Amino acid sequence: MLTRPSLGLLGRIVAIILLTVTIEFAASTLLYERAGEFSIKEDEARRLAEHLVIVQRLVGERPPTERPAIARYLSTDRYTVHWQRTAPEPRALAAELRNMRDQVVEWEPSLANAGLQLQLASPGRHDIVMGEIVLADGTWIHFKMHGLVTGWGLQLNRIVLALVPAIALAVVGGLLVRLTLRPLKTLSQAIESMGKGERVIVHEEGPNEVRNLIRAFNRMQDQISRMIADRTQALAAVGHDLRTPLARLQLRLDGSSDAELRQTSERDIGEMEEMISSVLAYLSGDSDPEAAARVDLAVLITTLVDDMADHGHHVSYHGPDHLEAQVRPHGFRRAINNLIENAIHYGDDVRVTLSDWPGRIVLRVEDNGPGIPTHAMADVLQPFARLDSARSRNTKGLGLGLAIVSQMVEREGGGFTLVNRQEGGLRAEIVLPKTTPDQQ
Amino acid sequence: MTIGDPSLGVGYAHTVPFAVPVMTAPTILLVEDDPPLRTLTARALQENGYIVRPAATAPEMWATFEAGPVDLILLDIMLPGTSGIDLCKAIRQRSTVPIIFISARGSETDRVVGLELGADDYLAKPFSTRELVARVRAVLRRGGIEEQRRAVPSNKAEFDGLTVDFARRELYSRSGAMIPLTGAEFDLLASFLGHPQRVIARERLIELSRARIGDSSDRSIDVLVSRLRRKLAADDKPAPIITVRGVGYMLNAGVARI
Repeated sequence: MLTRPSLGLLGRIVAIILLTVTIEFAASTLLYERAGEFSIKEDEARRLAEHLVIVQRLVGERPPTERPAIARYLSTDRYTVHWQRTAPEPRALAAELRNMRDQVVEWEPSLANAGLQLQLASPGRHDIVMGEIVLADGTWIHFKMHGLVTGWGLQLNRIVLALVPAIALAVVGGLLVRLTLRPLKTLSQAIESMGKGERVIVHEEGPNEVRNLIRAFNRMQDQISRMIADRTQALAAVGHDLRTPLARLQLRLDGSSDAELRQTSERDIGEMEEMISSVLAYLSGDSDPEAAARVDLAVLITTLVDDMADHGHHVSYHGPDHLEAQVRPHGFRRAINNLIENAIHYGDDVRVTLSDWPGRIVLRVEDNGPGIPTHAMADVLQPFARLDSARSRNTKGLGLGLAIVSQMVEREGGGFTLVNRQEGGLRAEIVLPKTTPDQQ
Repeated sequence: MTIGDPSLGVGYAHTVPFAVPVMTAPTILLVEDDPPLRTLTARALQENGYIVRPAATAPEMWATFEAGPVDLILLDIMLPGTSGIDLCKAIRQRSTVPIIFISARGSETDRVVGLELGADDYLAKPFSTRELVARVRAVLRRGGIEEQRRAVPSNKAEFDGLTVDFARRELYSRSGAMIPLTGAEFDLLASFLGHPQRVIARERLIELSRARIGDSSDRSIDVLVSRLRRKLAADDKPAPIITVRGVGYMLNAGVARI
């Protein structure tokens, strides 16, 4: 099934802010535009108004002969001024210029009496505005104004100006939302480490809903760890308590004269004891943690190999006589023992190899048995997993052997892998990081 | 009767436990709260020639303890109401009587704590009659040596750069790493350390290693010695155990109690 890519909560909230800000921005721009179709900047209007009043006065004071010259003199790059005797054709004020005329007249009311007219140089071009005013003697001044910041130029400007606060709002909003959501992030990290078996109490902070969520999580965590502890304890207690009746059974058997019964029952007791101790070993990580110590691994392994050899198994050791490592001695001993026993169970020739590599120690247990079908490789590390799904009684124990190895090696910060050898049989490999005594 | 009254024979029983004639069967104080198991264990011991005084609780144990001489205490550490570890400590404060712990926990922590508190050995449930009798016999036999080492303030010894912790029954390398030994190997080493630079006859070593039948395989003493040698040897020098042809073996190193 395809999952839609998710923006995340923060992304969503930022998107919502952006959307609302954009809508607000578009709406206000549009409304503003409709209201002041063609207004110009206030100071532009003032400048035009003042300029026109000065031109009106200066040109009006001069005798008619000097008027063209003074008009030329008063022209600038932006304002060109002409004096003419005849009145221009009266034209209706273009609708979009009404606002501009109002602005100019508002600043210099006298211009209203001077018959101020405004036109666009050509329809649609908003940067050239022409117009006329009448002088006291009835002659006219024609003016043309270039480069007015009007129309689209003005709009772009305004858009940019309006965008700045919008963007700032979005950024501030985003940061605030992020701050608000931070407890959620802490919570999700805590849940992750809880999954790995650590216990993290999350500090209650953030908005009410998040606080409630954190409180619920903390409570749930307490309940779960209490429940696990209870069950672990119960299971361990059952394990311990079973040993007393087993001890009775064993002693009663020892008094029996039936040699065959004694032998077979003793095997059963041994098997039961093996199950109990493997469950206790599997639980021991939680209920009875062992401290790491410096151990001569080579001697630890040879001790196990010697013991197997004494019991008639074909097990050989290849490696140095001494190799020290920092491990939990009994847990690790059990792990190696499980590997060797497993190898003996499936094969009849077992090689244990210990190698001292730079930075790590590699331990291999290889057998000449049938190996493990590829599809079952991942399952065999699961607790209570056994290769023969029928749970036939020809395999000993509860199927905790390799799960215990995996757990113990993980506790040492090492890696545990199983591979089928090309020449047949299984290779179990433990790689331990090397630590110096002062590193722990 | 007050507990700990010095007039009640505690000192008498345990300062001279081996002055009791060998013909007299040793007395074992069995502390076990499970009645059927108590009966079965007692019967197994009696059948093997020991006198058993059973007790179900700590107060019963103290009463029995003060009532007459005891050569060994077999103590279940999971007694209701009292921690076996506390009980062991309390016994040790008054007496050096050998103690064997019985535990259903089988955890190594328990074993080490028990041995450090002065218990002499450890027996994990379930145990067979053979194992039980072997441990009892070994501890009683070792008693003399244990008495000696208790007279010394420390439970550790050093030889050839290696350190031995007798209480924990562990050996440490020159760099302080634990060198795992089997029970039989440790007993063999302890015998050597008890008689440094003296030849020990093969027969005596066989006898010493037989005392501990927890390792039931009948491997020869020579295999045991060669395995111990390999564990004691360093990369640059051989183990300090010399073969004396036709006689036995000798530890060729000085032993310092620390």
